[in-house]
Amino acid sequence: MDFLSNLALGFHVALAVNNIFFCFVGVLAGTLVGVLPGVGPLATIAILLPVTFSMEPASALIMLAGIYYGAQYGGSTTAILLNLPGEASSAITTLDGYQMARNGRAGPALAAAALSSFFAGTIATVIVALFAAPLSKVAMAFRPPSYFSMMVLGLIASVVLARGSVLKAIAMVLLGLLMGTIGTDIYSGTARLNMGMLELADGVDFVGLAIGLFGIAEILKNLEGHQTREVLTKKVTGLMPSLSDLKRIIAPTIRGTLIGSALGILPGGGAMLSSFAAYIVEKKVSKNRDEIGHGAIEGVAAPESANNAGSQTAFIPMLTLGLPSNAVMALMIGAMILQGIQPGPEIIVKQPDLFWGLIVSMWIGNLMLVLLNLPLVGLWVRFLTVPYPVLVVAVMAFSAVGIYSASGTLFSMGELGLFALLGYVFMKLGCEPAPLTLGFILGPMLEEQLRRSMLMSRGDPTVFLTEPISLGFLVAAVLALLIICAPAIARRREEVFVED
Amino acid sequence: MISKLNGRADVEAGILFTLFGILTAGLSLQYRLGSIATMGPGMFPLILGTILAILGLVILTKGLLARGEKSKSLPLGPVIMITASLLVFAFLVLPVGLVAAIPAQVVIALWASEHFTWKRAAALSAGLLVFCYVVFVHFLGIAVPMIAV
Repeated sequence: MDFLSNLALGFHVALAVNNIFFCFVGVLAGTLVGVLPGVGPLATIAILLPVTFSMEPASALIMLAGIYYGAQYGGSTTAILLNLPGEASSAITTLDGYQMARNGRAGPALAAAALSSFFAGTIATVIVALFAAPLSKVAMAFRPPSYFSMMVLGLIASVVLARGSVLKAIAMVLLGLLMGTIGTDIYSGTARLNMGMLELADGVDFVGLAIGLFGIAEILKNLEGHQTREVLTKKVTGLMPSLSDLKRIIAPTIRGTLIGSALGILPGGGAMLSSFAAYIVEKKVSKNRDEIGHGAIEGVAAPESANNAGSQTAFIPMLTLGLPSNAVMALMIGAMILQGIQPGPEIIVKQPDLFWGLIVSMWIGNLMLVLLNLPLVGLWVRFLTVPYPVLVVAVMAFSAVGIYSASGTLFSMGELGLFALLGYVFMKLGCEPAPLTLGFILGPMLEEQLRRSMLMSRGDPTVFLTEPISLGFLVAAVLALLIICAPAIARRREEVFVED
Repeated sequence: MISKLNGRADVEAGILFTLFGILTAGLSLQYRLGSIATMGPGMFPLILGTILAILGLVILTKGLLARGEKSKSLPLGPVIMITASLLVFAFLVLPVGLVAAIPAQVVIALWASEHFTWKRAAALSAGLLVFCYVVFVHFLGIAVPMIAV
């Protein structure tokens, strides 16, 4: 069977010694930044981008992916023990997890989080493996207009799920698209919008953009509200959940996994949305719904399984369509482009070892995470005692060396500084940088598909409406925009995003 | 006046977007536009720049009508220090090497926080130097100059 031989190839790649090592480095780094509030997977992946330059493409993606799903594990640890979500996607876990810890049931809560995450990770790996190949076959049949409309939908979705003003998020997408056009025009070879700077012939440096907007700007944001953390490292005893605990988490874990898997695939979805949705559903349907909110184990298992499942199925559109569903996936695509791999449906055919190796490595990484997180939980929590400024300085120095090692020019250092300042300005003005990154990544592809479509149709723009698949994507995009502009939903959306 | 202040973030963001849109739309006019069927290099940036400029004006208007967000107050001090530390790093790494660039950056960046002690700066610099050497030079084989010659 095809599926089995593909998995065999995946195991072959993922179990290579250096890939196991990079997977371990990734999940270790992910756990660490998951525990530390103020440094998230997005910043970490950005900062580590230059390190991946000299690595094999498969190893690079395996490590970066490990950071993303590893952070979901780490984030739950501090959410439960300290009422402090290390990541936004674990924010909802604090509700029941911390209550459990206060009742002396921290052990079972941590175990429930880890086990349900592992279950979700396993199922999500299978889902990715099952759906990715057929989906990329469908996508390969897309003609340029459909491809264009699909990317438009992807960009609109990133706007829908951005925090804050919709108008500003759209403007940020446009700004990103424009920044993506800087550099050499693929058709005519003209150097565009480079303002006479030869260094910009290859376009704006993605590494500088990513580290500046997400790495350094995120740090600047947190410098202001630095809180003194009280670390209560009580000894966590009785890690093993009882048999009745295990029975209680089965159903919520399955529900959470399904919800997370579905929401992770949607453009704009991912870990955070999944965990909120799963918790809300659990509150409605669980047998013990009255207890949820007061330290019920279901309230830990459901969101934790959902955020892990969502963080993994988010790879499906990225790998099969070349469409990043969130900023982390945009960075992954950036890493691929830097490795010389053209993202899109051809990856699965042209680079099967990379594709299946990455998928299998996710499962192996999940296994490592359970082993890493449960016995070593005390160790991770101790990292919280590192004063934030010390962390900042270390991150800054590492970013500087990293970007210098990647390019070796002062110009790229200047770009980094510029994007750090821009990130700061955007933050002040309430503009989210994530849509800009998606626009930047998709810009060149969007332009190429637009120009191809127009060539194909001899300049008739109605081609986007007459091609059925394309029309479908555009209708979905318009619906998404209408829905968020509806006043009732706009209000609810504000409430949901206010929480973090 | 208070109502105007409330929309300040939108006013500033609107001006920023409008200016950027006009700038790129203007710059793209110097490239061949082509026709809709065969677009030249200038067409796509021109379309995007125009839309961005219009959207910027909408956001600006919304801000002036004071329905928008307040701009967040973020401290400027750390931003200047962090940017300065990057600059110092950039200027030291080529002529002198990481041995000088990292400690200089650490001192400046730590100085900006209330956590500065010479002991901590020295320890952090030493740790980072070793870490960067192991990761970049030894492990990844990238020629980052430790000491420039």
